Amino acid sequence: MDAENSKSGVTRRRFVRDGILVPLSLAVAGGAVSTIFLRKGDARNFYLRPPGAIEEKRFLAACIKCGKCAQLCPYNSIRMAGPEAGVGTGTPHIVAREIPCYLCPDIPCAKACPSGALDSSLQEVEKIRMGTAVIVDRENCLSIRGLRCEVCYRQCPLIDRAITIEPRHNTRTGVHTIMEPVVHRDKCTGCGICENACVLEKPVIVVQKSPPVQKDYYDF
Amino acid sequence: MTISRRDFLKASAAAAAFAAAGAPLLNPLASGEAEAAEAGIKWGKAPCRFCGTGCGVLVGVKNNRIVATKGDPSAPVNRGLNCIKGYFLSKILYGRDRLTKPLIRKGDRMVEASWDEAMSLIAGKFRESIDKNGPDSVAIYGSGQWTVFEGYAASKLFKGGIGTNNVEPNARLCMASAVTGFMTTFASDEPMGCYDDLDLGDTYFLWGANMAECHPVLFSRLIDNRLRNPNVKIIDFGTRRTRTSQMADQYVRFNPQTDLALLNGIAHVILRDRLYDETFIKRHVVFKRGKENIGYGLEDKFKFADEPKLINFDEYREFLKTYTPEYVSRLSGVPAKTIVELAHLYADRKRKVNSLWTMGFNQHTRGTWVNNLVYNVHLLTGKICRPGENPMSLTGQPSACGTAREVGTFTHRLPADMVVMNPEHRAKAEKIWGIAPGKIPAKPTYNATEMFRALDRGDIKVVWIQVTNPFQSLPNLNRYRKGARKGDGRFVIVSDIYPTRSTELADVILPSAGWVEKEGVYGNAERRTQQWFKLVDPPGEARNDLWQTMELARRLGHGSLFPYKYVEKEIWEEYRKFNEGQGKDLAPYEAYAKARGLRWPVINGKETLWRYAEGHDPYVKKGEGVSFYKNKADHYRAVIWARPYEPPAESPDRQYPFWLCTGRVLEHWHTGTMTGRVPELKRAYPSAVCEMHPEDARKLGIKHLQKVKISSRRGSIILPVDLNGRGKAEKGNIFVAFFDEGKLINDLCIDAYCPISGEPDYKKCAVKIEKA
Amino acid sequence: MISDMKKRKWKTVRMVVQIAVIMLIASPLLGASFFHGNLAGGALFGISLSDPLAFLQATLASRMFIPSFLLAALLIAALYFFTGGRSFCSWVCPVSLLTEIGDSLRRRIGMGERSFPLAWTRWTLAVVLAVSLLAKVPLFEVISPIGITTRAVMFKAWLPLAIVAAIVAVELFVARRIWCRSLCPVGGFYSLLGRFSPVRIRFERERCTFCGDCEKICHFEEVLDYPLRGGGSQVVAGDCTRCGDCVDVCRTRALKFGTGYR
Repeated sequence: MDAENSKSGVTRRRFVRDGILVPLSLAVAGGAVSTIFLRKGDARNFYLRPPGAIEEKRFLAACIKCGKCAQLCPYNSIRMAGPEAGVGTGTPHIVAREIPCYLCPDIPCAKACPSGALDSSLQEVEKIRMGTAVIVDRENCLSIRGLRCEVCYRQCPLIDRAITIEPRHNTRTGVHTIMEPVVHRDKCTGCGICENACVLEKPVIVVQKSPPVQKDYYDF
Repeated sequence: MTISRRDFLKASAAAAAFAAAGAPLLNPLASGEAEAAEAGIKWGKAPCRFCGTGCGVLVGVKNNRIVATKGDPSAPVNRGLNCIKGYFLSKILYGRDRLTKPLIRKGDRMVEASWDEAMSLIAGKFRESIDKNGPDSVAIYGSGQWTVFEGYAASKLFKGGIGTNNVEPNARLCMASAVTGFMTTFASDEPMGCYDDLDLGDTYFLWGANMAECHPVLFSRLIDNRLRNPNVKIIDFGTRRTRTSQMADQYVRFNPQTDLALLNGIAHVILRDRLYDETFIKRHVVFKRGKENIGYGLEDKFKFADEPKLINFDEYREFLKTYTPEYVSRLSGVPAKTIVELAHLYADRKRKVNSLWTMGFNQHTRGTWVNNLVYNVHLLTGKICRPGENPMSLTGQPSACGTAREVGTFTHRLPADMVVMNPEHRAKAEKIWGIAPGKIPAKPTYNATEMFRALDRGDIKVVWIQVTNPFQSLPNLNRYRKGARKGDGRFVIVSDIYPTRSTELADVILPSAGWVEKEGVYGNAERRTQQWFKLVDPPGEARNDLWQTMELARRLGHGSLFPYKYVEKEIWEEYRKFNEGQGKDLAPYEAYAKARGLRWPVINGKETLWRYAEGHDPYVKKGEGVSFYKNKADHYRAVIWARPYEPPAESPDRQYPFWLCTGRVLEHWHTGTMTGRVPELKRAYPSAVCEMHPEDARKLGIKHLQKVKISSRRGSIILPVDLNGRGKAEKGNIFVAFFDEGKLINDLCIDAYCPISGEPDYKKCAVKIEKA
Repeated sequence: MISDMKKRKWKTVRMVVQIAVIMLIASPLLGASFFHGNLAGGALFGISLSDPLAFLQATLASRMFIPSFLLAALLIAALYFFTGGRSFCSWVCPVSLLTEIGDSLRRRIGMGERSFPLAWTRWTLAVVLAVSLLAKVPLFEVISPIGITTRAVMFKAWLPLAIVAAIVAVELFVARRIWCRSLCPVGGFYSLLGRFSPVRIRFERERCTFCGDCEKICHFEEVLDYPLRGGGSQVVAGDCTRCGDCVDVCRTRALKFGTGYR
């Protein structure tokens, strides 16, 4: 009787534990995790990686998410992606609209990378290719509309190289110039200062993915 | 005071309705007009609040709030365009920290008070100080952002009521040298030409002017001229490579201060190579030489009076003998060959030649001279007073011309180019103002710098600061900031719309109405007078500076000076009396309500594009061609001045090896109190940097963006270095913008000024640079 | 309390070390600059250090060989080889600190003794390395609760800690220390090193009263089977974390830290 009782007690406890608590805690845990994972991802599906980042797929393969690059960024430009980045959880990236990369001359972030996800041999900021700025909304660009804005151009750290001004006659007023900012992809580092500085609520100049040009040195 | 608040409001409400109805709804710039109309937005016109370009804007109002602004397509200056500051005009009045209540200092705290408390305190302080120390112990310091009415009321109250010439505008810091340049050469202030010259000329010499950033819409007009006419040449003279240099055809770098020598060098070549216009010189020019070695105004109570002597052409030629291209080249660093070429370009008879300048000339210890010298070149070659061919001084404030210069809110000035030193002028003013003869003091007191020196010394006890921010904008700021808080009866009143570096030193802060929260008139750099109506109410208890001044008048017993019902209109009509028949005629008030500005002299409703020019200026008789009709003393001729090169007040040496130049950027305006409250502009250019030549940086082991300590003999500041920015400093030079209220670069600037104009030199002082 | 601390000498020292590690990771936030990074990769006084498993994953996934990276990983591998392999788990790993706290709660509310086999970690390790190689993603680094916890400390990114909370919750209700015992591939990796490490728990049979306290306190109690059931005079299993709890708890001092192989 005793044995049976204790046995049935154990069974009941086991039932409560395995039948209710386990699924419940799994559900809570799974729910928490998936909620975080399913959070709104980046609309452009493009993560602006720190200077020296190798091609995105290999970057994701090489990055061990140690966060040194972010810690060494003097402007707090580099942040670590949250779970919304999926496979890229914990990888460093830059949200240019909030804090762009200011292209430190000594590139401390790339130098700190242990795993080669950022090319630590990078020496010159001009060679950085994080992406490329693109004027995505010409219709709303104030400069293209003839206003004297060109904030992106004047704030570009490679002014007159990565962004230049192409003046043309403003036919509407007849006496003014449209000073159109033009991005030169071969020079643009993708630092995102232009995107950050754009005065419109939704920036009309944004950094997008640039074609891969980086060489991987330690291929095997 | 006879005006009631009710009348006042009624009048402006009617006016606003009128303005709104008159404003066209069509603007090809922005989409969504129909929606805007449907949304119940009413549009009124106004000039832009910022620089002296004077762009017209349409202001969209809904529920007593500005909801939108856009370039006014029917405004001739900008034709619907704006720069980025103008684009954000709708936000300048709505910063979170807008002042809405009078504040009175209680120890270290500012305590809210009623208008009555504040005004009786202020009036009491004025009365006390006037009784104890005389009328010259009180002062008003206003600005080129005063509306015509505000400036006029201040001048009338102080000069005509209180009886002191302690009236100064901040315009003393930005274009006083242009004024004295015009006055000494033409005996009448303000340019002969207008912006149409930007569309019509062939050659443009820019002197110390970064038009690309500081007069953005005009620059766009200038560049368009070149786009349409490939023949057009733009030559940028400067000590810093700017965005303007970038777009110019030629950039001519010269050593600071040697613009004096360069212009004399150009004149030398023009004479040597017989490039001058002999007939023009014979008919329209006299030659004069003034005092030389005139000092720098560094010592308190500095006084200067020029002693001009007439000379002849040969004596002038003799004077120029030393300025050979080779000598000038040694001084300026510009190749002798270039100087000769530029002189020939200046004198090219086939080309319409213009000179444009701003602070590089005006903020100069020889600012008046260098203004004279550029006129010399135009007068020698006869390239003046013709469509598309003029020297033109550009201004930085929206009403530096309209208020400070035309109303004459300087210590020595009265409206319409009159001066207090002249008994006839005083009599005329006293008559128009209806005050006792002899009321206006005959002696000018202090220029802006001297005014704050007097406050520091304690000679001035009470100063009222309106629409400006001197405790960020004065040179050698440390001294004047300390002076303001020395106590001992000193009392500082600041009227502003936001807390500033000046309100922080105030004993009373008065909340003001800004821009279209009041009715106003501004005058831009091309003599265009532009009017606007009040379109929205100021927030909280904020009130118009005009009302504030008149309220002080009432409390000091000078209420009878302002016997107006519709204050603005009546002030205008009274003010107009000064200008009538003086070559500065203004139209009746109604005309300005309708027009997008009119360029004076306005005669029979017709504006004047080119002064002194037959066929354009009604004052010039038929057959005269050109007449400098304001210069009666010199038989209606303009003056070519023999002005030598003299070194600046302070030059780099072993201890302080760099030149410091200060200035502006496109995104911010002046001390940034308005643009700093527009988040978009703040984001676009958050804080000041130190522009430096990469080679200088390399020598000092300084990297891009590294923080450095910049020190002069007067102060120091820590800033990040920018080696590759929009402006490229020349070797041995650095440049810092002065908008950043967190970084008071003017602490370092020297308070040396042009002895003739009293305008300080913000462009040259010696500093050293160390790693911070 | 003091007597308790004295009694639990190793536990106290261990907790000091655990907290010191967290402080080290948090130090850049406090303005210090002698350490950067986390347990996957860091730099102490400029010397680059790396988790060998992170190195293996990244190298397999990216097919790049960075010699300095290998050196950093070798330094850490050597460190844990000489200190006991899974000594990383009990002395350094912040997740272990959290799950230990969770486990003490579990004991208090009496959730029983259920557990899963220790050997699983070798499988998860194999899976992680295989997936890293084939899918070209350093699998464990993506989901690592160690990375999440350290980055939470470094960047104040608290949200992903939900995963760690979930682990603690599951352990609370399902089975003891599932994560550290049976799932963590880092544990799996260090257990391989620990098997050959010279630092071991010694067992003196003649002192033992077979009271069973050590087995009760040990979270990886299987490792004690070998000496207790007569296998030898030391704990040889790689899964022993060298935490010292058994040394603390043994009233007759039959269990002690020692070095060398017997």
